[in-house]
Amino acid sequence: MSEATSTTAASSAARQSSVFKLTFRLPIIIWQSLFFIGPLCFMVAMSFFIVRNYRMQEDFVMKNWLKMLGRDYFWDSYVLTWGLAGIGTVVTMLVAFPAAYTLAFKASEAVRRWAIFMLIIPFFTSYLVRIFSWYVILAESGVINAGLSYLGLGPFVMLNTKFGTVVGYMTLTLPLVIILQTFALANIDRSLVEAAFNLGCRPFRTIYRVILPMARTGLIIAAVFCFILSFGDFVSPYYLGGSKPPTLPILIVDTVKSGQQWPRAAVVAVVMMVTLFVVAFAGIMAAYRRRVG
Amino acid sequence: MVAPLVEFRSVVKRFDDFVAVERVNFTIEAGEFVAIMGPSGCGKTTTLRMLAGLEAPSEGEVLMEGRVMNDVPAHERDTPLVWQSLALFPFLNARENVEFGLQMRGVAAAERRRRALEWLDRMEIAEFAERDIASLSGGQKQRVALARSLVIEPRILLLDEPLSALDANLVIRMQSVLTKLQRELGITFVYVTHSQSEAFAMADRVVIMSRGHIAQIGSPKDIYRAPANRFVAEFVGRNNIITGTVGKATAKTVTIDGSLGSFTVDLGQHEKPRQGDTARFVVAADLAQISTAKPRRGNAIACSLISEEFIGSVVTLFLEAEDGSELKVQLQERELSKMDLKQAATIYLSWAADQAHYIGAD
Ligand SMILES: Nc1ncnc2c1ncn2[C@@H]1O[C@H](COP(=O)(O)OP(=O)(O)O)[C@@H](O)[C@H]1O
Ligand SMILES: [Mg+2]
Repeated sequence: MSEATSTTAASSAARQSSVFKLTFRLPIIIWQSLFFIGPLCFMVAMSFFIVRNYRMQEDFVMKNWLKMLGRDYFWDSYVLTWGLAGIGTVVTMLVAFPAAYTLAFKASEAVRRWAIFMLIIPFFTSYLVRIFSWYVILAESGVINAGLSYLGLGPFVMLNTKFGTVVGYMTLTLPLVIILQTFALANIDRSLVEAAFNLGCRPFRTIYRVILPMARTGLIIAAVFCFILSFGDFVSPYYLGGSKPPTLPILIVDTVKSGQQWPRAAVVAVVMMVTLFVVAFAGIMAAYRRRVG
Repeated sequence: MVAPLVEFRSVVKRFDDFVAVERVNFTIEAGEFVAIMGPSGCGKTTTLRMLAGLEAPSEGEVLMEGRVMNDVPAHERDTPLVWQSLALFPFLNARENVEFGLQMRGVAAAERRRRALEWLDRMEIAEFAERDIASLSGGQKQRVALARSLVIEPRILLLDEPLSALDANLVIRMQSVLTKLQRELGITFVYVTHSQSEAFAMADRVVIMSRGHIAQIGSPKDIYRAPANRFVAEFVGRNNIITGTVGKATAKTVTIDGSLGSFTVDLGQHEKPRQGDTARFVVAADLAQISTAKPRRGNAIACSLISEEFIGSVVTLFLEAEDGSELKVQLQERELSKMDLKQAATIYLSWAADQAHYIGAD
């Protein structure tokens, strides 16, 4: 009798706790379906709609896909976006590494804490404002060219170039990448680095013999973030890169502007989403693969 | 006159204001098995790290074969260290871990592989050569760590509490592996431990450290039978330390008066103390005797039995003297069985005059 009561009590407690869990998870489930999965599905559906008289109508046609994927300018733009985001990622990772290395291994705990704080500050101000401030620096009459003219060099054209775009990307990504890399490096067990010294490894060589293999997961995650942010960025290629030739985000805006082609813009957006999914997935797989060689 | 393999000359190591190692002097000869022993935080690891070049002395000099090593970086020294945490590279398998040091020395791939496998075989873990480090047991990891250090054929091997993570029977097993290795290779082992049993079981010489100082250097027997000071006598354990003030003193013996009575002790190498000074002497638990009747001659203390502890055939009796101080006696179980202690109200702890060891005031 008493046993039966206790079982009922236990099962009702279990039911209660699962209701409890669901209550806590419900907001996130609703949020995700409302603002992420919903729009995503709508965007995919929209890529099959048609536009008549500048008005979008529900339909299911392949026309938008065939039109966009059949055009050279789409693929030129795709390759350009890949190239710029790829170069941006490589350069950002390389520039960030010495800084992260210094913060993780050379700086004291207090310095590291302050540095992380300082690296978060850029995110307080609008990205757009930070991009416009580059005009002052990169313009033909800007700070850099003024400096170079003292040395009898220049002026160099930096605005409205691919260089400008990459500088813009880095404005967005560099602080974040330094933070992520610093965490990845700071978690490495010091005694592994010292064990390498102890076995005759020169300090510089420990970077690729011990530090990179140990920090692999964190570094790949940093690179994936960097690529995703750059690939989808509209502001840098538009304002610092001069918008021509267009990257995919610019192509989306152009397509919408020219004749209200929302469905074709959706095609570009879906292609971007798929690309980023693949990159993120491949990155995570590489990051968590068990062994390097 | 050949310079010793290792020499520490008044070495000091400070971390900011904190002095971790304070004016340490000692030498290690080639082929010795030296243990550095002391309680946790006494500076053992710091001493070892200075020898490996992983820490720079704040003052003094570390020499190897007469050469001052202070400015020689760690990667240019042949002083492999077996880490307390083992510090095996998790992204390499067992064989690749062992090859690491050879690779750093530019040994060709085929030769490297051969020598690594040879060492893994010697450590009886050849079958795990291609295994991930994470999949090995504690004892197997230990052997990989040893192979990784020894494959580069060093003249000295540093070990920092290498057995502290293993369970008791494995510790005994690895102790014999280590002693055997050291004999066969004929190289110097410097073994850091807080465990007296490990140090005494393996080392030719023991350096006892206390708060950054060296408390005593000597053979295990010296340290056990002739502790230089109170710290060593207490750290070694199994010692009865009796304190009193100096009464009559001659050049050879001294009378120490305390709450337990008045005892005459040989001075040994010590200088004659002044009358009225504090002085201590030690009676090792296994050299003391007990009886139910008061001995007619010699030093004896009347006690009562508190508890007994059996470890195999050895029994330790814990006794309480009349002034409340605790004393210990160690004897064979079969000796004990001849006595009827339970019935006796008073037990006398006694010792032969030459078996008390004078340690002075500190
Ligand atoms: N890098 C360091 N910075 C500050 N203090 C340290 C450092 N390394 C060791 N110490 C201190 O020095 C003392 C001795 O440490 P250590 O040599 O590791 O002792 P142990 O005898 O336990 O091996 C300890 O009190 C420790 O806190
Ligand atoms: Mg230690």
